[in-house]
Amino acid sequence: MILEVKNLHKIYNSGTHALKGVSISVEAGEFLVIIGLSGSGKSTLLRCINRLIEPTSGKVKFLGKDITHIKGEELRKVKSQIGMVFQQFNLIKRRSVLTNVITGKLGSLSTFNSIIEKFDKEVINEALNNLETVGISEKAKERADSLSGGQQQRVAIARSLMQNPKLLLADEPVASLDPATSNSVMHYFEKINKDFGTTVICNLHFLSLVRRYATRVIALKAGEIIYEGLPHEIDETWFKTIYGEEAEEVEIR
Amino acid sequence: MIAEPEVEIHPQKIIDRNKRKEDKFNFIKAILLDIFLVFYSLIVLQRAIYFKFILDLRELPFSWNEIGIIYLISVVTGILWTSTKTSLSCKLFGIAKDNKITKWTVEIFSWFLFNITFIAGWIVTKFSIVDIFSSEGIQGAQRIFGALFQPEMGIFDDALFAIIETIYIALLATLISIPPTLLLSFFTARNLMRDNKIAFTVYYVLRIILNFIRSIEPLIWAIIFSVWVGIGPYAGMIALLVHTIASNAKLYSEAIENIEEGPIEAISATGANKIQIVWYAVVPQILLPFLSFTIYRWDINVRMATIIGLVGGGGIGTMLMQYQGLARWHEVGLIVLMIAFVVWVMDYISARIREAIY
Ligand SMILES: Nc1ncnc2c1ncn2[C@@H]1O[C@H](COP(=O)(O)OP(=O)(O)OP(=O)(O)O)[C@@H](O)[C@H]1O
Ligand SMILES: [Mg+2]
Repeated sequence: MILEVKNLHKIYNSGTHALKGVSISVEAGEFLVIIGLSGSGKSTLLRCINRLIEPTSGKVKFLGKDITHIKGEELRKVKSQIGMVFQQFNLIKRRSVLTNVITGKLGSLSTFNSIIEKFDKEVINEALNNLETVGISEKAKERADSLSGGQQQRVAIARSLMQNPKLLLADEPVASLDPATSNSVMHYFEKINKDFGTTVICNLHFLSLVRRYATRVIALKAGEIIYEGLPHEIDETWFKTIYGEEAEEVEIR
Repeated sequence: MIAEPEVEIHPQKIIDRNKRKEDKFNFIKAILLDIFLVFYSLIVLQRAIYFKFILDLRELPFSWNEIGIIYLISVVTGILWTSTKTSLSCKLFGIAKDNKITKWTVEIFSWFLFNITFIAGWIVTKFSIVDIFSSEGIQGAQRIFGALFQPEMGIFDDALFAIIETIYIALLATLISIPPTLLLSFFTARNLMRDNKIAFTVYYVLRIILNFIRSIEPLIWAIIFSVWVGIGPYAGMIALLVHTIASNAKLYSEAIENIEEGPIEAISATGANKIQIVWYAVVPQILLPFLSFTIYRWDINVRMATIIGLVGGGGIGTMLMQYQGLARWHEVGLIVLMIAFVVWVMDYISARIREAIY
């Protein structure tokens, strides 16, 4: 088991109770997709897993080790083993694609060398390789904000690959992309999952993508898990339970 | 095997506890504000409106006993008023009862506060239509304006030197301010300093010090430094420098507080440390705003350097003060025109540079 989340609660300072006792276990190599309405707590869950935010109570175990309360150097070590991709790509806009990819390696570079931006040949080659993996090595020298959304997201994926992650978290990675681009970006997640054996946990909105890529699905509603199972088991009834009576499925290919 | 300690507090309890703590805190704040508001109203009513306006006294009587009594009355009234949960402060801090009485008290008291403040302001500034339109006054103004438009060109080269000195004072103050301002701005940006107690304390203390320095006008700093290092351009430069650091640190740190959180999240998710996060996720986002603020500040400093000169900070201001003291209005006219010209040019240039940057 690569990840174990036990009875996790998150209460924001504003008083919002975003997670209400969530428990999940993830086996190595899974492609786990989390679905749920806007505001159901999907992003909060991912951020609690790699401790971008502090869970209020409960436990997170990564590779058999309790990481809920670790701090400082130890926490950074764990973070460097967990990759993360965001809906808004979150690249450094004014810097080159290559520099952006290299930032994925910061956890294992010395502070001084990273500030004067002196990177080893190996690191640079690794970055170029990872750009190759997501198919945009020819853009290495360009400024990150000159790329299209889909290309930026691939740069973000390459950045997370620099961490050689055991676990890759993706928070609605295709929510701001058009359907065709969505599919191609999702394709790279599948490739990383299959080729490198990286475990992927991904928040998604479109059921057609879920059915195509997920090996297992969890549905959140108001901070609680209301469904857990295989993607093709989500039928009309489940769909309405998860997304509400009003919802209707839209097809995207 | 040792049993792992469980940190299980029921979440609902945490929510309730936070709510109670916040309410208590707001209640204390409301009491303090109510006391202040009542005290303020009573003092203004007594001193400005009763003594000055109704009795029209020249010398206001002053006694600590009286003020002490007024203060006591305010404390009692304030506490009682807040406890009814219908006061203005309760409304402001969101702990007021939601009923007609609250609505009425809030409306009437706000209106009352606004009016007495306005009237007190009127009385304090000795507002007088008569003075503005007195014939003596108008003649004086005519004399000065007349002289301004017939400037004495004989002192042009002296004035030129003086104004160049002013520009350099401003430039140097701005340039030297950059490194300390940069450093300070990182330590006074809330979003970078909130994750642990020590950092937050540093943030808080620095903010207070900077606010204090900024609240003292450059003019006052110039007076302080002209006593400290002697009258002249050096005193003026240091005065500007101190004020520039304090005010730009605020602007810079606000720029840092307004940056996109996304890249910070992304970089910290890679396991980068604090310094790396700042270098890669913060610095690229703030470089341009910083540059723009600094150029704008140079522009402001030229104007301030002129004013500072009036109290002995060197440059064109000092020269202006000398001729004004001698009542040589034609020379003053030239100096004023030159200042206006330079300020206009600086304003234009700095606006253009800032436009080009973005
Ligand atoms: N930083 C925050 N401070 C306070 N409340 C927050 C914060 N972030 C999220 N929340 C609240 O927590 C709840 C869950 O939010 P979250 O972002 O996890 O939902 P989500 O499922 O990711 O939604 P979306 O699909 O819109 O991204 C929401 O009610 C939200 O308003
Ligand atoms: Mg989200």
